[in-house]
Amino acid sequence: MTLLLFFLRRLIQLLPVMIGITIVAFILLRILPGDPASLMIGARGSEADVEALRQQLGLNAPLWQQYLTFLGDVLNGSFGQSVVQRRPVSLVVAERLWPTIALVAYATVLAIIITLPLATISAIKRNSLIDFSIQAVFVAVMSMPAFWLGVLLILLLGIKLPLFPVAGYGTGFLDRLWHLFLPALVIALGTSALTIRSLRSSLIAVRSAEFVDTARSKGLNEGEVLRRHIMRNSLISTVSVLSVHTSWVIGGTVVIEAVFALPGLGNLLVTSVFARDYPVVQGLTIVFALLVMAISILTDLAYAAIDPRIRLQ
Amino acid sequence: MRKRLSAAILGILMAAAAPLATMAQDSSTFRLGIYQDAQTLDPIASSDNGSIWVQLLIYDTLIRPSKDGTQLEPGLAESWTSNAEGTEFTFKLRDAKFSDGTPVTANDVIASLKRAQGDQSNWKRFFAPITKMEAVDGKTVKLGLDKPFTPLLNNLAMFSASILPAKQLEEKGAAFFDAPIGSGPFTLKNWARGNKIELAANPNYWQAGKPSVKQADLMIIGEDNSRVLQLQAGQIDAMLNVPVNQMQSIGSSGDITAKVAPVFRIDFVQLNNREKPFDDPRVRQALNYAVDKEGIIQGILFGTATPATSSMPVMRYHNEELKPYAYDPAKAKELLKEAGLADGFSTNMLVTSGDATAQQVAAAIQANLQEVGVKAELQLIESGTQWDTTKSGKYQMSLSYATSDTIDPDQLIGFTAVNPERANAYHTEWKNERLNELYAQERVTPDGPEREKMFKEMEQLVHDGAPYIFLYNKGATYAFRNNVEGFEVLPTSNWRLEDVVVK
Repeated sequence: MTLLLFFLRRLIQLLPVMIGITIVAFILLRILPGDPASLMIGARGSEADVEALRQQLGLNAPLWQQYLTFLGDVLNGSFGQSVVQRRPVSLVVAERLWPTIALVAYATVLAIIITLPLATISAIKRNSLIDFSIQAVFVAVMSMPAFWLGVLLILLLGIKLPLFPVAGYGTGFLDRLWHLFLPALVIALGTSALTIRSLRSSLIAVRSAEFVDTARSKGLNEGEVLRRHIMRNSLISTVSVLSVHTSWVIGGTVVIEAVFALPGLGNLLVTSVFARDYPVVQGLTIVFALLVMAISILTDLAYAAIDPRIRLQ
Repeated sequence: MRKRLSAAILGILMAAAAPLATMAQDSSTFRLGIYQDAQTLDPIASSDNGSIWVQLLIYDTLIRPSKDGTQLEPGLAESWTSNAEGTEFTFKLRDAKFSDGTPVTANDVIASLKRAQGDQSNWKRFFAPITKMEAVDGKTVKLGLDKPFTPLLNNLAMFSASILPAKQLEEKGAAFFDAPIGSGPFTLKNWARGNKIELAANPNYWQAGKPSVKQADLMIIGEDNSRVLQLQAGQIDAMLNVPVNQMQSIGSSGDITAKVAPVFRIDFVQLNNREKPFDDPRVRQALNYAVDKEGIIQGILFGTATPATSSMPVMRYHNEELKPYAYDPAKAKELLKEAGLADGFSTNMLVTSGDATAQQVAAAIQANLQEVGVKAELQLIESGTQWDTTKSGKYQMSLSYATSDTIDPDQLIGFTAVNPERANAYHTEWKNERLNELYAQERVTPDGPEREKMFKEMEQLVHDGAPYIFLYNKGATYAFRNNVEGFEVLPTSNWRLEDVVVK
């Protein structure tokens, strides 16, 4: 019941945000010079041809009317028609949604797999050579541009040691897991650089807390103390870092998708902005906003799972 | 414990991948890396290369450009005739079938051309001169014009004049283009948008024994470097647009060949002829003398281009006698002095953002101009915005290019030199009455020596008037693995895959 209430409340909070986002996206796009009609007719037609196409696409109506048309399209679920592809935006976006979601989810899983052991070692062996090395490697990773790290990994693990495909999306689950490994790893390494630091410092802080001493004095062994007391209490702040960063990654997939030729939302966004395919870009902004929202909901659920004292508000 | 677990998971991932790591080389499939997806397969609603290329593989046109781009050859029409005035064309159709097995008839031709003329068509101006269409019999089509229009045959060889099955088009409406039917060498098997376009050989194709491959996959890989890496890794068999600085190294392993195809493309700097000082032809000529084209071609383009003489690439009716403006800074200074600009002047140049080559070329031009006292500031601009900015006339110089869809120079001269016309001499607003006159004449003169003379004079006028800084004709770079035969980029920038063999 509380869960249902929590979701309802979240949805109601979402509405004004969504309306705000649609208005901003709508206006920003139209401030850009160039419109789809003149870009499509290009060199091959006259001003009259452009005008005719504009009329056909409904670009001559006043802005407020175009916006209301767009809202109507959102409410009926079609999100309007892509100007360039001449198909419903809902279709155009849906077929590009999964590669991006798969990539972000995969990267998050990899980031967790990388972070937990390395942060733990770093915290337990604080200020040792191994701690410094882990820190140094990830500071280096953090300061590398994602595309460069991507190309580096392609050269190492795609060309020199041909373990992974250098680009593409593959077919079937296992094949995709294999195809997406390098791009997910690039994102995961960037994420880990942040989460390792955050988890390491909370582990160190929590280790010296009184309740940990209490647990030890009850005779629990070090492994159990770490798992049941230290880790649990340290994870909350790391989950926040992970969640904020993942929201940011969704915007950042544009670069990774380009380097690894993945047919995701980022790629679609770039081509649609270049073609001024207004309806598609508007649809995409809504989808991006929903994804970020979904991550924040997942984060709240994770908090509640880690720490029973946290209530879903 | 956790560490062991994650190591195990990684191990499993690697193990799952290992058997897949050996890339199967299948000689019945040809995989080509292209840099942009198609947008739509409707020939009257597209203007992007991605869409055009795919359409030319699955549809046929009545006639088509020959492979070397010098003449027209039979397509669906095995022969055609015209009356002496050039107002009537009769096409005899060959025995061809659409990929679903139904025969191609005169009615299909008429329905397709009517559609290309219609209000939904982005290309209607190209077919507007046809005023009468008649099916003489099932295999003969007669097209009538009110007055002669010589470029018509070339327009009929364009993708926008693709022949589609009339009945299906009518029954299915827009849905036809989700699973289109054509008479070309390939059919659309599956289209994973943004990822790849899978084409299957058309079993009913009219050229017996072609295509030789059973399947052609067009892999969409936007990043040049990613395409190179995939070609080297053997994940694709051929690629378009090799970065010029990798033309030498890509073939170093011995299993890849890189080539440059001469295509109908011309690169130049648009000059706003309405703005001072570009309204003075001496200034425009001075800028042409100031730029070291050969230096740019060797230093930045690695020799993949040839210097340009005008706003026309080397194509039919090209004026062989014209020589490119020489690199002569002294002469440039002299001309500027004559124009009263002994101290040079300051200006700015629009450059497409995100195009590394364009930015390097712009920097070289900037340095060349600096030497003759012209200070050009570079302004990076997104491509769609650049088009609109030059169109509105709010610019001084703009680094750009133009390509031709047809092998007839009429399209490019109309676009780059005629004013008033669709683009008013590609937004330079340069105007030459004699050229306008010749343009009107060549369009009603039958193809032959007389029309050739007109084009040569027009090219001379553009060269002398210098509405642009003429730069070069940039070739199209492409590469393929050495087990591929018969893959080439044609002068019209597309490619025919029915002749490709993978060994």
